[in-house]
Amino acid sequence: MTLQPTAEGDLLIEDIPAFLLQLLRDIPVRAASKHPGVEERFLPDPANDDGIREDWKALVQPELMALFQSDRETVQADLRGVAEKKKGAALRIPKNHSDAWMGALNQARLAIAEEGGFGEADMAAEVAPDPGDPRGMALFQVGFYGFLQECLVRMQD
Amino acid sequence: MPSLDSPEQETKSGLDTPWNVVVHNDPVNLMSYVSLIFRRVFGFSKEKAEQHMMEVHKRGRSIVWTGAREKAELYVQQLHSHLLLATLERTQP
Repeated sequence: MTLQPTAEGDLLIEDIPAFLLQLLRDIPVRAASKHPGVEERFLPDPANDDGIREDWKALVQPELMALFQSDRETVQADLRGVAEKKKGAALRIPKNHSDAWMGALNQARLAIAEEGGFGEADMAAEVAPDPGDPRGMALFQVGFYGFLQECLVRMQD
Repeated sequence: MPSLDSPEQETKSGLDTPWNVVVHNDPVNLMSYVSLIFRRVFGFSKEKAEQHMMEVHKRGRSIVWTGAREKAELYVQQLHSHLLLATLERTQP
């Protein structure tokens, strides 16, 4: 798999093997997790104050949920444009979609980590996770999404 | 330039107690992403954003802004929109 920025500031990902393409297609699915802990993580309390919390729930949280969904839909639309080639698939992330991608990748990473109960030690582990077991696969997925997110962050500089 | 011990502070003429915007550590968010969001939301330089990010990482939290409650709420909302763990706290009198 190769990643390179284009002259227009898009990110072009080519020669994507089937396994990683499936992980890419999984981004909006994992990001939309219905796990109760995930909703709590996506919508944390803003303050230790009941009044602020109630206002937040009524006024701010619906806006945040709409934003998160919008990011997922942008990613899903870009993934529909994946070109399947002999050597592997190709995906172009347009420059003006990079915020949505960073957001959706972040959602997916946080959701998987929440579902798996991953903590500081899991995230800092230097041993490569084993994709052969479900927990290792989840950690691998978090790491792969983190790699893509890091590429998009670096393109902002 | 304000140091980490004296975060961005808005000048206030009223008697309202100022509020802190506090960012808390979480093990999943990328350090580079947190720095980028600090730069975008608060207009921090790269260096200042990284200092606050490292404070979050090492000490578990960093006060990134202090001022009027309304503006503090707006900043927390922006940070939540990027899935950073942020709260507002009334400053100690």
